[in-house]
Amino acid sequence: MKLKQLSPTDLRERLCDAGIWLRTGPFSLRICSSIPSVAEGLTDLYGQFEVRDQRDSFADFHVSVNSPSLLRRWIRPQVDFVFDGQLPFKPLPLDQAYPMLEWGLNWCVSMHAHQYLIIHAAVVEKNGRAAILPAPPGSGKSTLTAALILSGWRLLSDELTLIDRKTGLIHPLPRPVSLKNQSIPVIRAFSGDKAFINRPSHDTAKGTVAHMRPPKESVRRQHEPAQPAWVIFPEWVAGAATELAPRSAAQTFMFLAQNAFNYSHLGADGFRVGTQLIGQVDCYDFAYSQLDEAVRAFDQLADTPPQLRAV
Amino acid sequence: MRFQLKQYDSEAVIFDSASGDTHYLAPLALTLFQLYGEFPGLPRNDLLNVLARHSIEPGLPLDTQIDEALDGLRKAGLLRHE
Repeated sequence: MKLKQLSPTDLRERLCDAGIWLRTGPFSLRICSSIPSVAEGLTDLYGQFEVRDQRDSFADFHVSVNSPSLLRRWIRPQVDFVFDGQLPFKPLPLDQAYPMLEWGLNWCVSMHAHQYLIIHAAVVEKNGRAAILPAPPGSGKSTLTAALILSGWRLLSDELTLIDRKTGLIHPLPRPVSLKNQSIPVIRAFSGDKAFINRPSHDTAKGTVAHMRPPKESVRRQHEPAQPAWVIFPEWVAGAATELAPRSAAQTFMFLAQNAFNYSHLGADGFRVGTQLIGQVDCYDFAYSQLDEAVRAFDQLADTPPQLRAV
Repeated sequence: MRFQLKQYDSEAVIFDSASGDTHYLAPLALTLFQLYGEFPGLPRNDLLNVLARHSIEPGLPLDTQIDEALDGLRKAGLLRHE
């Protein structure tokens, strides 16, 4: 059964009671919440996801988003994210309940899924080849990711690149795309009526935040891993011409290692997986100012036949 | 083996299993690391002769570049047989 098949009442009741069991990529989640905006966010953004029956479901992560106390439901209302009975974060204002769920789920994966090398990067796929997009905050990574998936690329993840340590393949985790501040109107304008973006939350630590629903096709193919082909560092620069420039493989490795959540934890195996990854990708810096031109450049890359590599 | 090195063209990354640290080696640092690994205690003059055959970045004098690169390798704990 898909989440969209649940009536709003049924969804709210389940969330308030034993919770709902959702499958997202390789992980199953159990989510509990009595907060209406969490139910609303899940309805808006996770409609295509499979909901499992609690009787035959194991959950990797048991999480909840709820008010910490009765008092906090009324006076300066706040919410807590709870993971396996623990509070990894300080409470946030009630208005940020839904983003807190998304941030909390990212934290669950990045802190625990050590069967993967987990890089802080978006990742998209076309023609069987994946482009990893690492970049510092403010570089336009999420905006470009949103534009690409609205233009036929498959969303693997907008935040967490999961490299399988055994196979080197990238496992999808196609959850909602986090858009911040100016990228919200930019993507609304770019998409016309193709994208669904939920109600923004204001005054968060990241400014105004909203989430874009992942494409149906990306969710349908969420168990299909992809071969890494490129590591591309996007940077939005006002007025810049679209330019894809080769960059140092060794320096790209160092950036990925420094921006991986568990590289140090994995030790020598992190090095092995990371160098194996770099050995099979082309590395680029990518400057752009126009989203449609940026998408064309990516499409050209995807349409270019892969070159044979020396082993 | 303490060090795992992966070379990409003239640069490399190296994992030190003793410290758990990973380091980037620019072309000169890579050359020095390899030279001192292969020829421990290599005299400075011989080192200069060997490096004269390598293409070195323009800018600082070769001596200065070598000293800076060696200093970086020492600080990273990558130079054992200088």
